[in-house]
Amino acid sequence: MDGIDSKKLLDKRISLKDAIAKFVFNGCSIAFSGMGGEQVVAPTYEIIRQGQKDLTLIGDSPCEPADFLIGTGQIKRMEVAWAAFAVAGVSQNYRNAVEKGIPHEIEVCEFSNYTMGLRFLAGSLGIPFMATKSLMGSSLEKYNDWIKVIDDPYKKKEGKIALVPAANPDVAIIHANQADKLGNTQFLGFSSNAENIARSAKRVIVTCEEIVSTNTIRKNSALTAIPQYVVDAVVELPYGSHPWNMPFTYAYDLPFHMEMIAQIETVDGFKKWIDKWAYGCKDHADYCEKVGWQRLHKLSSVEKQFYK
Amino acid sequence: MSTDCKGAPSTNYTLQELLVAAAAREIKDNEVVFVGVGIPCLGAFVAKFTHAPNVVLVVESGCIGSMPYRLMLGIGDNACNENAIAATSLWRAFSDQQRGYFDLGMLGGAQVDKYGNLNSTAIFGKGDYKHPVTRLPGSGGANDIASSAKRTLLMMNQQKRRFLDKVDYITSPGYLDGPGAREKYGYTGNGPSVIISNMAIFRFDEMTKEAYLDSVHPGVTVDDVKKEVSWDLKVSPNVKVTPPPTEEEVEIIHILDEKKIYTGKGLKELTFESYIGMLEKSYTTLKSMFPA
Repeated sequence: MDGIDSKKLLDKRISLKDAIAKFVFNGCSIAFSGMGGEQVVAPTYEIIRQGQKDLTLIGDSPCEPADFLIGTGQIKRMEVAWAAFAVAGVSQNYRNAVEKGIPHEIEVCEFSNYTMGLRFLAGSLGIPFMATKSLMGSSLEKYNDWIKVIDDPYKKKEGKIALVPAANPDVAIIHANQADKLGNTQFLGFSSNAENIARSAKRVIVTCEEIVSTNTIRKNSALTAIPQYVVDAVVELPYGSHPWNMPFTYAYDLPFHMEMIAQIETVDGFKKWIDKWAYGCKDHADYCEKVGWQRLHKLSSVEKQFYK
Repeated sequence: MSTDCKGAPSTNYTLQELLVAAAAREIKDNEVVFVGVGIPCLGAFVAKFTHAPNVVLVVESGCIGSMPYRLMLGIGDNACNENAIAATSLWRAFSDQQRGYFDLGMLGGAQVDKYGNLNSTAIFGKGDYKHPVTRLPGSGGANDIASSAKRTLLMMNQQKRRFLDKVDYITSPGYLDGPGAREKYGYTGNGPSVIISNMAIFRFDEMTKEAYLDSVHPGVTVDDVKKEVSWDLKVSPNVKVTPPPTEEEVEIIHILDEKKIYTGKGLKELTFESYIGMLEKSYTTLKSMFPA
C-alpha cells in the first residue's frame, strides 16, 4: 500500500493512461476479464503504448491481450487455457512465439477455461487451491506440474480428484457495462470470470462503458458483480471492447476483426497494425475517432434493436 | 442413436448442411447442451427449431438458455445473452456441468484417436510439446466438456493424419487407453458418443470403447473412409448411408446462416454494410420463428 489505500477512496475515477501507469509494472502478473466478447482491448493498446515488460499473463481465453502483448514482446509467461480469435481466426503471434521464438520464446503453463476459473475462485476465497474433476488423465496434467491428481481424502467416492493452485495476479483489468465512481461494478449480461479475477488480484482497474450514479447501482444491486472494496481505479471507457461486443451496448464488429486478422498474419503486418492503432493513437478517444464514430454508433444502434 | 428425422429429404443440399443436420439429430428434446461455435452450434439451433424446441443451450461465457434472433458468432457474442434465462459467470456454468446437469457437449480438434481422445493443443511434428511444428489454440473449455458433459459429440475433418492411432497430446479425454480408464478417474461425464466427419459418422463400441464406422455420407464408400483412418477401423455390420437433411432443415440453415459464415465462405466476403444488413434482417426473420 502506497500511503493512501486506493481501495478506500470515495472517488476512484482516473484516466486510462494514469491507471495503467500506476498499477501495471515491469515483471507484474496481470489478468484480464472477458470471454469471447467483453474483451479488454483499449487497455491492451494503452499497455502497448506504455511498454511495460516481462509480464506474466494469467487468464482463461484472452484474445487481444494475449496475441498483441506477445507480438510486442511484452509477455514473458502465460498461464492460460486458450489463445486465438475464435470465429475470426488464430493467434499468429502466439504461434510465432511458440513455434519459432518470434519475437522471443515465452513460457506457457496450460489449464482449461474452467480450471483457470477455479484458480481465480481459489484466489478470491483466499485459499491455496481448488479441486476439480477436469484435467485428470489428459496431457494437461502430464505436462503441467502445477496440476496434482490425488485420491479423494474423504473416500466418499471412487475415483480421483485434480487440484489446481490459486491465482492471485498483481493486477486485474476488468471491462464492464457500468460502474460508479466508488468502483461498484455491474454487468448487464454474462460476467465470464470477472468477479473472481477481480477478487483474486492485488490491484483492480475497472474500465466501463459508462460511469453511473451510486443510486443507479443501488436500484439494480443484483447486477453488481464486484463491490467497491475490491476496486482501486475506475475508468470510463466507451467502446473499450471494440471490435468485440458488449451485451446490450454494441454488437460485435466482425468485419473489423477480419481485416485485423488478415493484416496481423505477418510480423510486418502486425507491426503496421500496432503502429496505426496503438502508437498512432494518443488515447482511446483517438482510436474511436480513427475507427469512426459513425461506425461505432451503428454497432450500438443495431444492438439496441434486439431489445425492442 | 440419433433422432429419426421426419419430413421430405432435401435433394439440393451441401455437405456442410448435411453435417449441421447430422449434429442436430444427436440432440433430444429437453436436453441441456453446451454449445461452441460453427457447424455444431448451427446444428443445436436447427434442433431447437425442429424436433427439440425445449433444448436449453449453454455457452462458456455464462449464458444459459439463449434464444437469439441472430446467428451466434462466438461463445461470448451478444447473441448468447439474448433472451437467455440466465446470464451468469463462466465458472458457474462449468460448475453446473461438473455437477452433472449437462447432457451433451460439442467438441472439435485437429487430431482424434480410436478412443475419441482429442488434440486441440499442438501438432508435434518432429518437435515436442514445447517446440511443436504447429501450435493450436489450446483447451479453452474443451477439456472440461470432455470430462463432465454426460456425452460428447466430436466434429472432425476426415484425414489420415487427423484420425490417428495415438494423438500427440490429449487435450480432451475420450476413453483414454480403453475400457475402464474413465471409471478409474471418476469423471462426471460418460465420454464421446459420436464422431461426425465430412465423410462419415462413427460411434463407440460399448465393450471395447473403440470408434467404429456407423454410416457413410451419400456418395462416400466404406473404403474411402478406411483410407482416411490410421488404425484398423471396425465397420458396423449394418453400415448405413447418412440420411440427407430434410427440406425443412435446409431452409432453417439458410435463414440462420444467411451469409454462409459457417456453411460456406461467407466470412471472408463480409463488409461492414452487408454485416449490419445481416443483423437487421435476422432480427425480423428469426423473431417470428421462436415461440412468443
